[in-house]
This record gives sequence, structure tokens and C-alpha cells, in this order.
Amino acid sequence: MNATEVVWWVFAVATVALSAGVVFSRSVIHSAIFLIGSLGGVGAMYVILTVEFLALVQFLIYGGAVTVLILLALMLTRQSVSGEPEKVTGVQAPFGILVGGLLMAILIGSAVGTDWPNDVDDTPTNIPIETISEQLFDTFGVPFIIASVLLLVALVGAIILARQEEGDA
Amino acid sequence: MVPLENYLALSAILFSLGVYGVLARRNAILVLMAVELMLNAVSLNFIAFAAYLDPERITGAVFAIFVITVAAAEVGLALAIIIRLYRNRATSNVDEVATLKW
Repeated sequence: MNATEVVWWVFAVATVALSAGVVFSRSVIHSAIFLIGSLGGVGAMYVILTVEFLALVQFLIYGGAVTVLILLALMLTRQSVSGEPEKVTGVQAPFGILVGGLLMAILIGSAVGTDWPNDVDDTPTNIPIETISEQLFDTFGVPFIIASVLLLVALVGAIILARQEEGDA
Repeated sequence: MVPLENYLALSAILFSLGVYGVLARRNAILVLMAVELMLNAVSLNFIAFAAYLDPERITGAVFAIFVITVAAAEVGLALAIIIRLYRNRATSNVDEVATLKW
């Protein structure tokens, strides 16, 4: 095993453990903290894949903005009003374990069983930021503009939904 | 070096954990976090495919950028809905919000 593989396994195990912490932890705040680590672990995977720009985007948008937003929403919605500890999972939990486990088995089975055309060298190709910008602004120019309109609409919609209306308590 | 299958397996594990979270957890914000896990797993899959199999056109990496954009918009909207819901019903448990269910 060379250094890259060792680093990969360390980050893979950490990412899986933190993600399990997100869905299994009893406290919602702990879940949010675990989520920061899990998203950071996926960002580390992008670094190992040598896609530095997307790693940066991952750390900034997910590790920064999205988790801060989730923590703020947790702050604004007190979890247990009556004082008694809230039920963590519903009656759907066994069904969730069944579906999740089956899906994991099918996905891993098909990923390992498929004969991918790169099986000779097993090395990711570095994706330079110039190639990303060329693709994003040239080939995918129209979806890029549509995505910006989508962000604007979502922003306005979120403000309208969350604002205090006249007559609200 | 790390083979492509390792990334696909890791992404499959993350996605399945997200599916379990969405199905089993009852707190709306936690369901949202589980959705984020699933979107992240999909992005990882896209970028692994772009770096290993499609380095000239990198369609996967561009698609991952769009996934991140839509995820950011989705989080903002969903949290606005959850805060609204909490103000009206004083709960963020998805089992107690069943008006549309019959």
C-alpha cells in the first residue's frame, strides 16, 4: 500500500463513521456537527481525486454555508417543547434499515462487478480549473444561466416563506 | 493507486446511510441532513467518473457543480419551510405534519 492508499482509507473510514453519526446520533446538534465532518471528508476525497476546484467549492459551500444554515435553523426550532425526550426514529426504522441495506448491497455489487474501461492504470486524471471553466461557460452555458435564475428564485421564495407576516403572533 | 471501485463503494455506503436517515429519522432538519448526505454521495460518484473515465469532457465534474448549486437552493428553501412550519405548528416532527395524508 502506498501513501495515497493509506490516506484514502483513513479518510474513507472517517467519512463513513461520521455519516453514520449523522443518521444514528440521538442529538440533532451532534448530527449537524458530524455532518460538517462528513462533508469535509468527501471534500478530502475530491483532493485525492485531484479536482482541487471542486474540493474548494465543497469546503466553502457545504462545510461553511450549508452547515451554518442548518445550525441556525436548529437554533430557531427548539426540539422538545414538552421536555420529554423526542423519539429519534419512527415505526419506519426497520423498513429504512431494510431498504438502505439492500440498496447498499446492490450498488456495491454492481460497482465491483462491472468491468470499467480504466482497469489498467487506476489513476485519476487531474482536472485543471481551465477545463472546468471552458466546459461550464461554453458547452454548458445555458444550464449555467438557468442555474443562476434558479438560485435567485429560491432566494426570493425562502425570504417570502420565512418572513414574519402582518398579524403573525 | 486507488481503483475507481473504491470511490463507487464509498459513495454507495454514504447514499444508503442517507436513505436510512430519510426513511427512519423523524426530525425534519435531520431528514434534510440525510438528503445532503445522499446528494454528496452522488457528487462523489460523478466526480470519480469524470476523473477516471471522462477526463477530456469532464461532464461529471460540471454536473457536480450543478448538484451543489441545486443543493444550496434546496437547503435554503427547505429550512424556510421548516421554520414556517415550526412557527405555525410548534413541531418539526414530520409524522405530526400529515394534513395532506389520507
